[in-house]
Amino acid sequence: MLFQWGMGRQKKQINDGVKQEGPDHSGEAADVPQEPMSAELAVNLDIIRQTTGQSSDVVIRRFSLGQERQIKAAIVFVDGLVDEKHVYEFLLTPLLEASFPLSLTEKEWFPWIEQKLAAVGGVKHVVDWEHLFLELFSGETIILLDGVPSAVSASTKGGQYRAIEEPQTQIAVRGPREGFTESLRANTAMIRRRIKNPNLWLETMQIGTVTQTDVAIMYIKGIANDEVIEEVRARLRRIDTDSVLESGYIEQLIEDQTFTTFPTIYHTERPDVVAANLLEGRIAILIQGTPFILIVPALFIQFFQAVEDYYARFDIATALRFLRVLIFFLSLVAPSIYIAATTFHQEMIPTQLVIAIAAQREAVPFPAFVEALIMEVTFEILREAGIRLPRAVGQAVSIVGALVIGEVAINAGFVSSAMVIVVSLTAIASFATPSFAIAISARLIRFGLMFLAAMFGFYGIIMGLLVMILHLCSLRSFGMPYMSPLAPFISTNVGDTLFRIPTWMYRERPRLINQKNIIRQSGDQKPQPPAPTRREKEDGS
Amino acid sequence: MEHSKINVRQLFVLIVLFEHGSAMVIPLGVSAKQDMWIAILLGLALGLLLFLVYERLFHYYPDQPLTSYVTHIVGKPLGKLLAVLYITYFFYIAARVLRDFGELLLTFAYPETPLFVLNVLMAMTVMYSAYKGIEVLARTGELLYTLLQILAVVGFILVIASGVVDLTQLQPVLEEGWKRVWKTVFTETLYVPFGEMIVFTMLFPYLNRPEKARRAAVAGMVLTGINLAIIMAVNTAVLGADAVSRSSFPLLDTIRRIQVAHFLERLDVFFMVALVIGGFFKVSIFFYAGVVGVAHVFGFSNHQRLVYPFGALVLLWSVAMASNYWEHIHEGLKIVTLYLHIPLQIIIPVLLLVIAAIRRRFGSSAK
Repeated sequence: MLFQWGMGRQKKQINDGVKQEGPDHSGEAADVPQEPMSAELAVNLDIIRQTTGQSSDVVIRRFSLGQERQIKAAIVFVDGLVDEKHVYEFLLTPLLEASFPLSLTEKEWFPWIEQKLAAVGGVKHVVDWEHLFLELFSGETIILLDGVPSAVSASTKGGQYRAIEEPQTQIAVRGPREGFTESLRANTAMIRRRIKNPNLWLETMQIGTVTQTDVAIMYIKGIANDEVIEEVRARLRRIDTDSVLESGYIEQLIEDQTFTTFPTIYHTERPDVVAANLLEGRIAILIQGTPFILIVPALFIQFFQAVEDYYARFDIATALRFLRVLIFFLSLVAPSIYIAATTFHQEMIPTQLVIAIAAQREAVPFPAFVEALIMEVTFEILREAGIRLPRAVGQAVSIVGALVIGEVAINAGFVSSAMVIVVSLTAIASFATPSFAIAISARLIRFGLMFLAAMFGFYGIIMGLLVMILHLCSLRSFGMPYMSPLAPFISTNVGDTLFRIPTWMYRERPRLINQKNIIRQSGDQKPQPPAPTRREKEDGS
Repeated sequence: MEHSKINVRQLFVLIVLFEHGSAMVIPLGVSAKQDMWIAILLGLALGLLLFLVYERLFHYYPDQPLTSYVTHIVGKPLGKLLAVLYITYFFYIAARVLRDFGELLLTFAYPETPLFVLNVLMAMTVMYSAYKGIEVLARTGELLYTLLQILAVVGFILVIASGVVDLTQLQPVLEEGWKRVWKTVFTETLYVPFGEMIVFTMLFPYLNRPEKARRAAVAGMVLTGINLAIIMAVNTAVLGADAVSRSSFPLLDTIRRIQVAHFLERLDVFFMVALVIGGFFKVSIFFYAGVVGVAHVFGFSNHQRLVYPFGALVLLWSVAMASNYWEHIHEGLKIVTLYLHIPLQIIIPVLLLVIAAIRRRFGSSAK
């Protein structure tokens, strides 16, 4: 009978395989057996073996349970995903040493096992194959008993992960040094450690019909806007894709508008940034397998705020923010201004400089636009090479790069030295933008503006920027206007945009993002000098 | 009709940007000679009265634009005719302002570029903004309003610091009595820019708090009127009344006089930012009003489909309306004022208000 069943199963798999060649990808779920679990241990183990294709890392250990009555049992786990020592010490040993009461009925055995396995973290009752495989491949150990048509999964997650390290992006001089890792659990723990509050809620779901990736939304109940939470849930539920390998997959499936160069979802590697955003009422989306965590809704101004702004004093932070906006602006328009000024508006440049530039450009055979284009494209090539190349070769690229953008290029008569200054300035400016996501959109727009500058001079640049601003104002992130609180103008929140007001003045959380619980601290937080002591009073008088 | 809303602050900003639009660039009220600033302030005062007429009409029909309540007031056939007339007027003024800016750019920066090419870029930006809708335009206005204010203050300080302001040029005040000033008010300053507030009757229904419309609009108009008076007074003080009346762009000439510390000079390009932004808002608002008007009168549910055909129309019209700049200016000052501004800004709205008030009084409401 067992043999027959096995044959039938094999046939079914072949059929499934044929079906899957078609476009119908819902067949992927059919890989998992649909029929109920059998009461016979041998049959169940056989189904597991068949379904996993006899994969060598799926370990099946058979043993006999109890001392009085020899009940056949088995544990199944995936090697490498579980903590093996944990499995043998806390799971197998108590089961082997237990005395199994003869009178135990089918209903009573799960509580019995649960009690015996008190030393193991979580114990769950699993009744269908789909859950069983999900648990198995999440790193749990499955316990099967002969004569019972269900299974138990015990929490034994383990295995190797990268240790917590300093984040590679968003580096801060002052601030915590830990960054997220690829482990979802470690990441949620890092956030929990910062916000010890029962209202910090976590909702987990699996996305990806094949990969079954754990995706979690985290928010502070009562601070986050319920409508936005519901919107995030709805957008995540809508996703029907085969795989999620990085938060970028999710980001592109849930963002408000695809056809824009601007990021409408923020991502970060730093737990303190996530905690700060949760406290402002935003929602974090954590994905198993990536250290980059998504934060929604994201506003334009957020990409200019470095985490250190909040750790430094307000005057310094404000000055730095203005500097960053200037940097972003420069990385957008520096080459275009060079083109416009040398082609159309020479009168703008002081006379001596105009003569100097004209003398340099005398030897250059190209119009300013072509000159700028050559240098900008060269720089982009160098930069791309620098990122993708193995570290060892990187040195060579930087030496060659220094030659290309430098003295030699000028001597060769390709470009003028003024152009080299402009390109270098643009390059440094685009590296200095605190968020890579926004720097990269400036890189794209820069080329459009260069073209407009070549055609129309300053008028072209102004119109190009005007279209960009119109576009920015039309964007939304999870329903929030992207340019708020600048446009629409919300006076109470402007303190944390280009400016950063002193910390004691932060009375309210951002308005549009949360609507109920807006007060974040009391109004009397201004530090006061101590009252003069009596002695001082006497001395003074 | 678009289901978007703008708030009171945004309306205020839009009005300020719109009213400054071309008015700060063109010679405004120059026939009053050195008293042009008085003419502007008087124009503002009368313009406010006129605006109260428009506001009253809006008060009667708080959720409808001009092109649709006009049919309620005078009946369907005549109402439709008037609505089409207003829409054409809006498109025409959009084209006129577009032309103004094309000419301005030609004169001071791009003498060899064809007018059409310059206008294409502006027209495309205007179409994009109309396509995105009033909400986006209003938000953009909020951002650029701050920029313009900074530019205005910096410009004012620089002009003063250059030491070119000579207040005696503003004297004698009222050299020939009030008569010439009043004449200027009734032939020029009342209609542009204050009478052009008629276009906002198309935008008031988008307001989220209609009861605040009057305050925002009056504040915006007063601010603009005072600003324009200051601008023209400074122009006169720098250039002299004679040069202002002969100049095609007095503000530009004033800015060219700026010379501070031997390196802050030739700032006209920076002020092109202010001029282009003002022009953009003026064209955009007229154009948007025209497009929503068409959508209303001819029953299109989505105005976005109308943007490109009418945008092309305005673009071609702006190039074809006059064969040269002087023809354009002459038409603007003489013909347009007499045959378009006076009937459409004053006579028809006042008549509409009278009829609407009578209907309301005697109960034969055409709801």
